[in-house]
Amino acid sequence: MISTTLEERHWLLRNLAQGLIEYMSVTRPPVPVEEMLRHPPSIYERDFGVVDMYSSIWDATFARPPNRRGSIFVCIDIEPDKRHYALARETLTALITSEHGRRMGLCKLFTPFLLESADYFARQLLAPDSMVKAFRMRNGNRENFGLEFQLPARAAKRRWNEDGASAA
Amino acid sequence: MTMQALNQLVARSIIDPTVVDAYSGGKISDVLSLFDFSADMRSQLSGIQANTWAEYAIQAYGIVKVAEEQVSRITLPSPLEGLLPEKGSADKEQVA
Repeated sequence: MISTTLEERHWLLRNLAQGLIEYMSVTRPPVPVEEMLRHPPSIYERDFGVVDMYSSIWDATFARPPNRRGSIFVCIDIEPDKRHYALARETLTALITSEHGRRMGLCKLFTPFLLESADYFARQLLAPDSMVKAFRMRNGNRENFGLEFQLPARAAKRRWNEDGASAA
Repeated sequence: MTMQALNQLVARSIIDPTVVDAYSGGKISDVLSLFDFSADMRSQLSGIQANTWAEYAIQAYGIVKVAEEQVSRITLPSPLEGLLPEKGSADKEQVA
């Protein structure tokens, strides 16, 4: 296994997110992540799904029950922006542990950095550079950024200040 | 453009299994020819040895990044340019 830098992992995560955005053919926020999880690309038919649950422990978590389709189990009573973000974050686990993801080598590469990688991936999936740039060109500002992209406040603040977003 | 082509290739690989199939089958050059890489870059990227597609992509990123940095260094004007006095005006000052 080669060692990777944060910059290299972020580059790869941005492009993995971009691949899904192109699959969804979406050009404006909010990115319909839940819709994609419910109607996934054929290659992820056994890996993407959404199951609503009550939980006081987590907002969402991906699990792959034996011999069944993998799904993101999401807390039923969280706010819509937090649900949107949690689903995007857990999508990375679904991706890298899928048959295709393991075949690509994504599981080995990202598992040691999963927490940090999943958050970065979620921000890029929900607010890709091209949409953030367009938002800023429409004079969008920091205050309504989270609202338009359906990002929780903390994620919106981090994404706004990231390379590609702030420089756009 | 080359980094853009690599970005497109990697983005495609997450939903299109034929990219990874080609890589695993030793036929990545066939896929590279579909993207906007120069012949020299295609040759460099075809020669990468890696255990997985993800490792291949990371190594390709390093190669493309270095190549693009070299190009930008060549095309950027020297920072000294514009600071040197024009020859004509320097001559005039000497005469004065």
